Amino acid sequence: MSKKKLSFEQALDQLETIAEQIEQGKIGLEESIEKYEEGMGLVKQCRDILSKAEMKIQKLQERADGTLETARFAKPKT
Amino acid sequence: MAVARSKVRAIDSDMSSQRPAFNPDLVKAPEAKKKTPLKGPLTVSQVTAIVQRAILDAVPATIHVVGEVSNFKRHSSGHLYFTLKDNSSELSCVMWRSDAARLKFDPENGLEVIASGAVEVFERAGRYQLYTRKLEPKGVGALDLAFRQLCEKLKQEGLFDHNTKKPLPPFPTRIAIVTSPTGAAIADMIRTIQRRYPCVHVLVHAVRVQGETAAGEIASAIRSINRNSKNLGGIDLMIVGRGGGSIEDLWAFNEEVVARAIFASHIPVISAVGHEVDFSVADLVADVRAATPTAAAELAVPELEEVAAGLTGLARRIARATQTHAELATTRVNGAAQKAPLKNPLDLIRRREQILDELEHRMTRTESTQLHDLRKRIENVETTVQRIAPHAYLAKTGGALRDASYRLRWAIDGRMRDAFQKLRHLALTLPATTSHRFDLSREKVRTAETVLGAVSHKSVLGRGFSITRIKKGGKVLRSVKDLTDRQRLITHLADGDVETETVNINQMELFD
Repeated sequence: MSKKKLSFEQALDQLETIAEQIEQGKIGLEESIEKYEEGMGLVKQCRDILSKAEMKIQKLQERADGTLETARFAKPKT
Repeated sequence: MAVARSKVRAIDSDMSSQRPAFNPDLVKAPEAKKKTPLKGPLTVSQVTAIVQRAILDAVPATIHVVGEVSNFKRHSSGHLYFTLKDNSSELSCVMWRSDAARLKFDPENGLEVIASGAVEVFERAGRYQLYTRKLEPKGVGALDLAFRQLCEKLKQEGLFDHNTKKPLPPFPTRIAIVTSPTGAAIADMIRTIQRRYPCVHVLVHAVRVQGETAAGEIASAIRSINRNSKNLGGIDLMIVGRGGGSIEDLWAFNEEVVARAIFASHIPVISAVGHEVDFSVADLVADVRAATPTAAAELAVPELEEVAAGLTGLARRIARATQTHAELATTRVNGAAQKAPLKNPLDLIRRREQILDELEHRMTRTESTQLHDLRKRIENVETTVQRIAPHAYLAKTGGALRDASYRLRWAIDGRMRDAFQKLRHLALTLPATTSHRFDLSREKVRTAETVLGAVSHKSVLGRGFSITRIKKGGKVLRSVKDLTDRQRLITHLADGDVETETVNINQMELFD
């Protein structure tokens, strides 16, 4: 499973699903525990995303061929 | 002269009301004097030249004419041709492409306008006309009219339809901003995003937001970001806008080209043009309109703390549900362990052994009734085992019981094997007279063995049962009819035997 590729939103959706599955009690105990561990892994992934507290700001520049490249952006002073 | 008689009113023109009768000699005396007197027939060109000269001399370089547009034609060259008219006169007008390009609104027939320009003669046609450099709708501002006209047009095309609006992503990763790289708007947006949700990547596409080229630059940037989204890692959201200003300053966001670029964007667009009170065409086409650039940033990203709290809530829900589930399972396992067969799993086997021992004892007496009993008892065991049907029970208790059942299977298999070996041995020692009947019994035993073999380890997990015998003779008690008063009985229970005496024999209806 390529769990790393889940977006934040997908990870949250997955967590919601896991919570519902365990709460409904339709799955066995062993599966519950597996889901619990998967859930805690996702929670950690989400926290990691949120803790990237350094906002990245770049400038987009048009190349001659119509593609865009990124460059350093100087924050305007206010 | 036609010009002098024209009822087309020329306003803001000093000479309109007190224009003298045409007299070339009076108007430009020095030049007129050089000319030869007008003798003999004139050529068409000469007449035209005289008229042209007269008009140039008589009419100021710029006049403003009010009238109603008719015969409006936009030539493929881009030049505009139309007629201005009032109740009694008409004036031919032309507007060159370069001037027409600056028009914000679309002139249309019936529209009351003020046209500004110069009256000159179009020599080839021998016609004078107003070379219009500026056209203003009368009564309303040109921009207001243009805004209204464009709104009408785009609305009809469905660019404002709500069902074409894209939802904003709740947790964007990459946000593109199309705006001026300097000024308050971009600073406000960056500061707001930084404060609320600093885990995003902001990409600024710098454009001019006012002036002639602004609309084209904005539209081109929107298209370019859409085209390059993939290469940039996927743009989730775009903010297009600028800070406050006059209607002219904000005008680029009312241009059709910007509206169309926003509408064509597959990336959701938030518009943020000017202040709360400013409403632009871009706002109407965008997926979401923000009142200000700061508001746009607030709509674009969630509040980090709220997201984190939501995440914690989810984690708690999962942990709590799992714990509840585990506790429930523990209770079930404990409950199961309390049941007799699990507490002393070997008792069932021992009881069966005892029965077999007894059978062995009795078979040595080679009495056919006892053989009969033997068969019955084996059947009894068989029935019991079948009735236990322990699959569901076992499924519930699950993994926690695996070890126990594994050990049990060993024990049961071993003991069963021993017991049946004893039986077989006995069968061999039976006298010939009973051998036939015994064969039948042996058949039963084999069947029982198969059944037991199949379910043996599970059987001990079933319910307990007891067997009562008449002490004298050891006959298994099946009916009260077999009893007499004061008769000694032995009852085999899960954990031992008890000797009892009959006191009160009542034959009853079965209530089970």
